[in-house]
Amino acid sequence: MSGVSTVAFSVFLFFFLLVTVLGFAAARWRRAKALDNLDEWGLGGRGFGTFIAWFLIGGDLYTAYTFVAVPALLYAGSSIGFFAVPYTIVVYPLIFLFLPRLWSVSHRHGYVTPADFVQGRYDSRPLATAVALTGILATMPYIALQLVGIQVVLEVMGIGTGSDSWFVKDLPLFIAFVVLAAYTYSSGLRAPALIAFVKDLLIYVVIIVAVLYLPSQVGGWDNVFATATHSFTSFNSSNADAIAAGQAAPKGAIPPPLLHWAYASLALGSALALFMYPHSVTAVLSTRERSVIRRNAALLPAYSFLLGLLALLGFIAIAAGVKVTNPQQAVPQLFENEFPDWFAGVAFAAIVIGALVPAAIMSIAAANLWTRNIYKAFINRNATHAQEAQQSKVASLLVKFGALAFVLFVSTTYALDLQLLGGVWILQTFPAIVIGLYTRFFHRAALFAGWAVGMVYGTWTAYNNPKVGDPGSHFGSPLDPFLSVPWSDWLPFDTLMYIGFTALLLNLVVSVGLSFVLRAMKIDAGVDQTRPEDYHADLGDEGVEEELDPGAPAHA
Amino acid sequence: MTEVSGRPQGGSSRRTWVLIVTLLVPAVVVPLLVPLYDSEDPTMFGFPFFFWAQMAMIPAAVVLTVLAYSLAKGADRQDREARRKGGRA
Repeated sequence: MSGVSTVAFSVFLFFFLLVTVLGFAAARWRRAKALDNLDEWGLGGRGFGTFIAWFLIGGDLYTAYTFVAVPALLYAGSSIGFFAVPYTIVVYPLIFLFLPRLWSVSHRHGYVTPADFVQGRYDSRPLATAVALTGILATMPYIALQLVGIQVVLEVMGIGTGSDSWFVKDLPLFIAFVVLAAYTYSSGLRAPALIAFVKDLLIYVVIIVAVLYLPSQVGGWDNVFATATHSFTSFNSSNADAIAAGQAAPKGAIPPPLLHWAYASLALGSALALFMYPHSVTAVLSTRERSVIRRNAALLPAYSFLLGLLALLGFIAIAAGVKVTNPQQAVPQLFENEFPDWFAGVAFAAIVIGALVPAAIMSIAAANLWTRNIYKAFINRNATHAQEAQQSKVASLLVKFGALAFVLFVSTTYALDLQLLGGVWILQTFPAIVIGLYTRFFHRAALFAGWAVGMVYGTWTAYNNPKVGDPGSHFGSPLDPFLSVPWSDWLPFDTLMYIGFTALLLNLVVSVGLSFVLRAMKIDAGVDQTRPEDYHADLGDEGVEEELDPGAPAHA
Repeated sequence: MTEVSGRPQGGSSRRTWVLIVTLLVPAVVVPLLVPLYDSEDPTMFGFPFFFWAQMAMIPAAVVLTVLAYSLAKGADRQDREARRKGGRA
């Protein structure tokens, strides 16, 4: 891999500097009184309408995940890679149904985080803390995925490679990382919201050019699919022995029956996980009225279509003869090979900025969780607004360093596995948050026990899952035989399932079962501060304010 | 789920909500039924069925969501009026 041309690098650098300037200037955009409180720094004042919300939520969801991680799976011949499409179809109806209720109850009670809601609903500090910590933990590998996306682009551009020193090699990533950290620190959510405009514009241009121009360069879609399928079949036949011995995974374009449930559970699991991530909740709560969420649920699938076409860039890379050992580099390398230099620069900028925006939003959201639900709940109950904002700023830095640790220490073949690992954890908050929006049936202690069981099972199983052909390795795959415990032999079927989904089922079984027991024993279930009508409140109703008073205690 | 609706004045918008959920269920369930679309044929514009069928589900889901959106808007308005008549927000 020789470095890219000066033209490509200059174009890339231009856009990178542009968003850096925008990031710092954002502090002055739509400015209220001051940034030194949590609503302003962390939720952009909560005044975003449909238009900005569309960009902002789109900015959250379409990331290095889409550009790098998903095509990498298809490039590598993983037949479950296309699950990202059903995932992004399924997620919007779910958002449509669940999140307006969360918006309403949050705006009625001044909740800034999902853990605030759990505290108010279940009157349980341990449960709220569990939800907050899970959110912070699960966000880190998701940010790590973005950093991997930035890293592979830098590698393909040849920046930092060619040196043996890890310091020189990783220096560009650190620079990008420090710039991101600095403007997030100073501008808060306004920075990614403003940069999201540039990002989406660049991404749309690159995607449209890529999906219209590239297939014709490699002989049309017919040839793309034929070449990809052929390369998988010939891989399978020349590696038949290794595959039979379990040392290599068979390749394919369409999941075989053994992987049907894996495919569906990855799609559903990812969809259920997506809107519980603190950053999705942040984006949703920053909208001005309830209907903005539903309108966006109908508008956002425009991105899904592009996601599907982008995923197929993995096949186009095969057809174009891209040969890389790290499948994550397939799409950036494809761009470098097939695009004129200046446009390759634009494309690289699109991917990197497309990773910076969500990384910023995610770290802000995780920081909000820290401040509201840990710092204010345990460390300094009488924190001033300025102290809260300061805590969040520092926490957002720490979360990013946690993500860096994931990049450096949890080495995975597929960056996508990082996001799926986060999903294993965040899914365990589903019963408390989402089901909690509908019913108070669950007992707070039962929810806590269910959460603990799901977390332990999920983490343990994921940790012990070796990479194919590398026994003894860890975090090798997000899939595992359904209920991989000795006593599951009686199950009538044998199938692979997303670990996060299996863990969620266990979690639900424990939560439901224990709730019955604890209720029968009449153990105190705590006081629910929400009322049924709170879940329908909208802007203009009594007690619902457009911008909430951040000084009001989270849990009165 | 016990108090699924929790709407104070109950009734008036409940039927609309049943309809909304009925519209949205296929958008969630059909994409998860892999055996429905795990084949190569028929191809369209060179895309195997597996790929174009899933892409085609996106606009289908959009149509359902847009319908659900307009219904939900009406239902919310109805609820708010009912609440106002009820005297208490």
